[in-house]
Amino acid sequence: MASIATSASTSLQARPRQLVIGAKQVKSFSYGSRSNLSFNLRQLPTRLTVYCAAKPETVDKVCAVVRKQLSLKEADEITAATKFAALGADSLDTVEIVMGLEEEFGIEMAEEKAQSIATVEQAAALIEELLLEKAK
Amino acid sequence: MGASKLSGMQKQVLSLYRGFLRAARSRPIEDRKRIEMIVSTEFRHNSKEVDRKNFQYIEYLLRLGTKQLDQLKSPAIVSLSSIKVVTSKT
Repeated sequence: MASIATSASTSLQARPRQLVIGAKQVKSFSYGSRSNLSFNLRQLPTRLTVYCAAKPETVDKVCAVVRKQLSLKEADEITAATKFAALGADSLDTVEIVMGLEEEFGIEMAEEKAQSIATVEQAAALIEELLLEKAK
Repeated sequence: MGASKLSGMQKQVLSLYRGFLRAARSRPIEDRKRIEMIVSTEFRHNSKEVDRKNFQYIEYLLRLGTKQLDQLKSPAIVSLSSIKVVTSKT
């Protein structure tokens, strides 16, 4: 199964936000070592990808669920690029976050996709994809 | 830790955890909160205690957990006196 390796950069500005949605099911992938919480050139997993901008309100809702699930203080900053792991979430926490998001948005995420979510923007992008499908 | 590549066994553990949370969701709110508390505590306890290389024991725990999840899903069970779920480090 051939895949296309891609890389992307995100503007330092608050907008526009570029998010990545896997065009096909992702079995598993890994990120490099811990990165800074900043908008830098990022090495993306080797796979087919499409780009779209998740609505700010979706990202905000995702942030709210994450904050609640991890019992974060208002002072803790969460952005679209924030990794759950950077907030101290282990893989059990991430499962809970995903379950919380499913309830909040009234959707169900396929297990494989859910397991590949590691950042707010990945969650927001998948959610909007699922909401679109649901609307059909 | 975090978003690293998950081993097959780790995925099974997370899948089981997900299954429990889903099953709890269909319960009345009181039951649900208690189930979630018990499940969360057990999974986290074992993620600390169980040697991640002890594959035999982890497989045993996964089978035990799966059986308990099936029981939890059964509509015949009206209340849970206790539910012990154990699984491996994630």
